[in-house]
Amino acid sequence: MNPTLWSLRAGDQCDIVGYDDALAEPYRIRLMEFGFHPGESVTCLQSPAFGAPKVYRVSNTIFSLDDEVASHVRVRLVGDNA
Amino acid sequence: MPRILLIGSPNSGKSLLFNRLTGLSQKVANFPGITVDVGVGRLQALPDMELVDFPGTYSLQAISAEERVAVAEFERALADPEVVQVLCVIDATRLEKSLYFTLQVIRECERVGKPVSVLANMIDVLDAHKLTFEVESLAAALHTAVLPVSARSGKGVPALIDHLRTVEGQSQAAPRQHLVETPDEILRGNAHQLAHRYGPRGDVLVRSQTRLDSFFLHSVTGGVAFFAIMYLLFQSIFTWSAPVMDGVEYLLRLIADALVPLIGNDTLRDFTSDAVFGGLGAFLVFVPQIFVLTFIIGLLEDSGYMARAALICHKPLRLFGLTGKSFIPMLSGVACAIPAIYAARAIDSPRKRLLTYMAIPLMPCSARLPVYTLLIAAFIPAGTALGGLVGWQGLAMFGIYFFGMSCGLLVTGVVSRLSKDHFTDLPFVLELPPYRMPGLLPLLRNAMNRSRHFVTKAGKIIFAVTVVVWILGYFPNYGADLEVSWLGMLGHAMEPLFAPLGLDWRYGVAILTSFLAREVFVGTLGTIFGIEGAEENMVPLVSQIQASGISMGSGLALLVFFAIALQCVSTLAILSKESESNALALKMFAGYFLFAYAAALAVYQLALVFT
Repeated sequence: MNPTLWSLRAGDQCDIVGYDDALAEPYRIRLMEFGFHPGESVTCLQSPAFGAPKVYRVSNTIFSLDDEVASHVRVRLVGDNA
Repeated sequence: MPRILLIGSPNSGKSLLFNRLTGLSQKVANFPGITVDVGVGRLQALPDMELVDFPGTYSLQAISAEERVAVAEFERALADPEVVQVLCVIDATRLEKSLYFTLQVIRECERVGKPVSVLANMIDVLDAHKLTFEVESLAAALHTAVLPVSARSGKGVPALIDHLRTVEGQSQAAPRQHLVETPDEILRGNAHQLAHRYGPRGDVLVRSQTRLDSFFLHSVTGGVAFFAIMYLLFQSIFTWSAPVMDGVEYLLRLIADALVPLIGNDTLRDFTSDAVFGGLGAFLVFVPQIFVLTFIIGLLEDSGYMARAALICHKPLRLFGLTGKSFIPMLSGVACAIPAIYAARAIDSPRKRLLTYMAIPLMPCSARLPVYTLLIAAFIPAGTALGGLVGWQGLAMFGIYFFGMSCGLLVTGVVSRLSKDHFTDLPFVLELPPYRMPGLLPLLRNAMNRSRHFVTKAGKIIFAVTVVVWILGYFPNYGADLEVSWLGMLGHAMEPLFAPLGLDWRYGVAILTSFLAREVFVGTLGTIFGIEGAEENMVPLVSQIQASGISMGSGLALLVFFAIALQCVSTLAILSKESESNALALKMFAGYFLFAYAAALAVYQLALVFT
């Protein structure tokens, strides 16, 4: 099983592999509209304390996702932590 | 009149561009049948053309009820024969984010035969970092004009005006139809490729943003910065607005003092003094607060900090069905519910905005403070405990504030669990916009618009209710004795309702008049007990209340009642306007009255058991 976006720590880089079936279709579409395509490279910039939403960089845009969404996005770690 | 539609994704600088092109002369118009604000203004350089500004949206494939309304309105406007051009605004610094939406807009325009141009905004930011993007190549790939502009500096705007002038003077050529049959999945892929191929190279913009985020979102420094900024916000509502609010009151009193004695007829004089000037004072006094709060919130939004604040607060508020963006409206509600309801506009999820509306009236607003002060002074002993460290009255004040806030979270938590409906809600996917220096003029303009909206929209309702309450309290004995007025009679008639709380008609009347504004409760009790200026000096009134035979249980019940009940006509009026639902305001009024009554009854009965 691939890790998810939510499991990333600050500084981790990954490629998006796909989405869980549990993620509602409208959410999946919105994520893709924001650039979270399968194959896209994502960097986790911030992983704040107390389970607050994490901060991710996709291309030149920065987004924050909470666990309700990020835990359904499957990724493959790249770089030093792969 | 020929019309131009302006559309773009959020944070693309569209509104600033709209203001620059129309010279800040837009009016906010509610188009028939829609629930979103659409700005309309004449182009300064081409006064025969009208610019229509649509709310920012990420996609024409709507996923929430509100987005569906905005998209449907855009499609309706596209069919308007007077629409001669569509301008799609993109953020030139982040093409990846904007191009999928742009391709969707181009496809829709091709379907209906409307010409479309792309405005690549924020080229000033690219210039500042010595970055470029391939304008001509992108235009060729999109089969449409791409005009680099800067809404902030004005660069590229003359070329845009020239472009629009040619549109105005020419008959419309049908655009190429290269995307009409292209499905969304292909558009997404195309957008991705185009952004990578023609977008600005380098990540200097993201790196500077990341540096600031590592401070503002850090577990320690981020928390300190958050509390400091919220403290300033709270101070702005409570302290900085106060002198201007006092000034408004003073000015109204000055005008009233000069004008009222000139009126010969007694009834007309009383009406002018109490209903007109009293009623005006009751809502005009909020205008400075609304102005200051709107200005500061605009500052936080435009600088990019608001999105970070929402992120920080999201997790704890999510437990109660709210979002991080609910925090600032709720905090503002501790000062006053009216600007707080306006502040809830920033919440993009309609469901969470509704839940925030429900929480705001339970925040312990400043109008409750005089009521709490009076009741605590009358019913809570002035003694201390723990060697003087804890005063009972201070503890009671803290307790009632905490109780109100807890009730707000309890209500939203329960309602959100009972009405959980993910399909009409938006996920928490928040774009963190770059940090930017906000422009002063748009902020002032926005604060002015919001203040004007409050005066013109809510003012009518507030004034009407003020007049009704004045008539009930004045007739049939021309203000001689409140007890035998229609309001007094109503109080007597409603005595059975308040008797289970150990309260007689006097408190019933005071509760009825507090519907105008909660603090009126103190003044009404002062009038009933024959004490002048009870609002300024409560000591004689406290003694009278203590001597009137009302028990501590009733006093506690009143405290709880005021912590929950939504008897504030200004809040109800603005709630009804902002939510565009009279039913919601009425349901909340009735629901919170029942909740307040039941809680007060429970407290009174419990007090009877223990005393």
